[in-house]
Amino acid sequence: MSVRLENLTADDVRVERERFPRVFSATPRELALRWLVWGSTALILLYGLYHFGFFSQRFIHGFTKLSVMAGQLFPPAGWQYMPQFLHSMAETLAMAFLGTLIGATFAIPLGFLASKNMFPVRVLQFGFRRFSDVLRSADYLIWALIFVRAIGLGPLPGIMAIAIVDTGTLTKLYSEAIENIDRRQIEGIRASGGNWYQVVRFGVLPQVLPVMLSNALYMFESNTRAATILGIVGAGGIGFELSDALRAFEFDRACLIIIMIIIVVYFIDFFSKRIRERFIRGDSFQQGAEESVSLRVGS
Amino acid sequence: MLRLQNLTKTFGVLTAVDDVTLDVPTGQMLGIIGRSGAGKSTLLRMINRLGDATSGSILFEENGDAVDVNALKGRALLNWRTHCAMIFQQFNLIPRLNVISNVLMGRINYNSTLKSLFTLFSPEERALAIRALDRLDVSAQALQRADTLSGGQQQRVAIARALVQEPKIMLADEPIASLDPRNAGIVMDALRRINREDGITVICNLHTLDTAKKYCDRLVGMKMGKVVYDGDPMALTDELARDIYGVGEGGEDEEFSVAVTSTSLGQKNTATNVRRMRQ
Repeated sequence: MSVRLENLTADDVRVERERFPRVFSATPRELALRWLVWGSTALILLYGLYHFGFFSQRFIHGFTKLSVMAGQLFPPAGWQYMPQFLHSMAETLAMAFLGTLIGATFAIPLGFLASKNMFPVRVLQFGFRRFSDVLRSADYLIWALIFVRAIGLGPLPGIMAIAIVDTGTLTKLYSEAIENIDRRQIEGIRASGGNWYQVVRFGVLPQVLPVMLSNALYMFESNTRAATILGIVGAGGIGFELSDALRAFEFDRACLIIIMIIIVVYFIDFFSKRIRERFIRGDSFQQGAEESVSLRVGS
Repeated sequence: MLRLQNLTKTFGVLTAVDDVTLDVPTGQMLGIIGRSGAGKSTLLRMINRLGDATSGSILFEENGDAVDVNALKGRALLNWRTHCAMIFQQFNLIPRLNVISNVLMGRINYNSTLKSLFTLFSPEERALAIRALDRLDVSAQALQRADTLSGGQQQRVAIARALVQEPKIMLADEPIASLDPRNAGIVMDALRRINREDGITVICNLHTLDTAKKYCDRLVGMKMGKVVYDGDPMALTDELARDIYGVGEGGEDEEFSVAVTSTSLGQKNTATNVRRMRQ
């Protein structure tokens, strides 16, 4: 009884439809649910756009003003301030780097303490998880504003803000990575008589270290962008220069700074991506490569 | 007829498949044996064009027409892949989709891209998918998610997916290496039945000799990329088998026995197994 489409009659199809109705069409309930979800999503979107004035005259007129401003951006100017801009840019990068480094360092032990499978005292584990939630619940900007008030202007409050938010975010990411590890590797170490420290060192760390490094690098990448904003609330760096230019309506100077930021962010993204790929690769052999490796072993 | 001529595939300095020439007549059940790393998978993947040959040719002859498989591109290449269905050791199903959707994946090349992306398969195709599942005795699981099935059931779903492709050739890359003896037997029986009843050519990589001898019309032994045996399964002596598996060279297979089995539970042929083990 060869199975071929051309041999199927309308009767065959009817018989199969009676046997497995749900293979042929969704139940009325499923269909209703599908329409409800899509319909209500579209409705919320349209109402939201209407409510906040997307269809208003004001919004449409705004575009003409934008085009005038865009004209004032060019040509970029303020080249005489270049040494000062470069110094500020370095300050921004330093802020991002130090903040991320401090955050990532604190997040490693906290990540272990906040993961269910590594820290069995549930009340404390839950406490560490919520603590990390609190740290990252407020944005960089809010922490920066608080620290600027407390310790004054400059990069230090920026570093503090980034370190605190990163500790929270990375603790969560690290603990989730630790919770999702392959249990068999732990069992392998445990079955050989390994204690908790040895299990963590050999059963867990080799699995999560690439994830931790790549997450930290990604945070550095995104913190470079965040650090430019922090300058606007007084945390120094290139963001301070940018807000200064915008406040003085010197859009061409702002344009030069924005171009600098774009170039730096692009390079950081590029190199960070390259390094992250290096960490992630190594466990994903292609079929061909796998075969060639086993050939090498076999010959 | 599928003709492989001087087929070679190299990875850097390594030659995975070395100057293989084979003619596979339509409707044959061909077993390829050899230890891991012998180039069996690479060979199958080249036939399906999942990997491209470094040199040599693959010709598919049918009704007097010959298709140069290595030269296929675009639409013609996709059609070729549909016509030589592939079955994998790890099944390669989509675990989060249900069984019937997995089987319908075998029909994607028969539908327009847009239709298939919205899983708008015709009622006839759905009935065909159920029939294919019936044939492999897994239709009761049609609406379950694929990852809820046992390994043996998953492999049967994968064969059903291959069947609805309406293939001319079925390539099975170690289809039973991840299965227990009972399920391995069910899967090999299914492949054999499809070969006999539908006249589909089956090329099957196996690593155990008894299974290959039990199910195949013809055996090809590969060693370090080369064909070292090609002929009747029963004519393959233990001596030749030892050579194919490289016993006594690497030193890791000292316990090699031709009685090593992956499809029989040992009860039926106890006498022969014992006799073989004593040798």
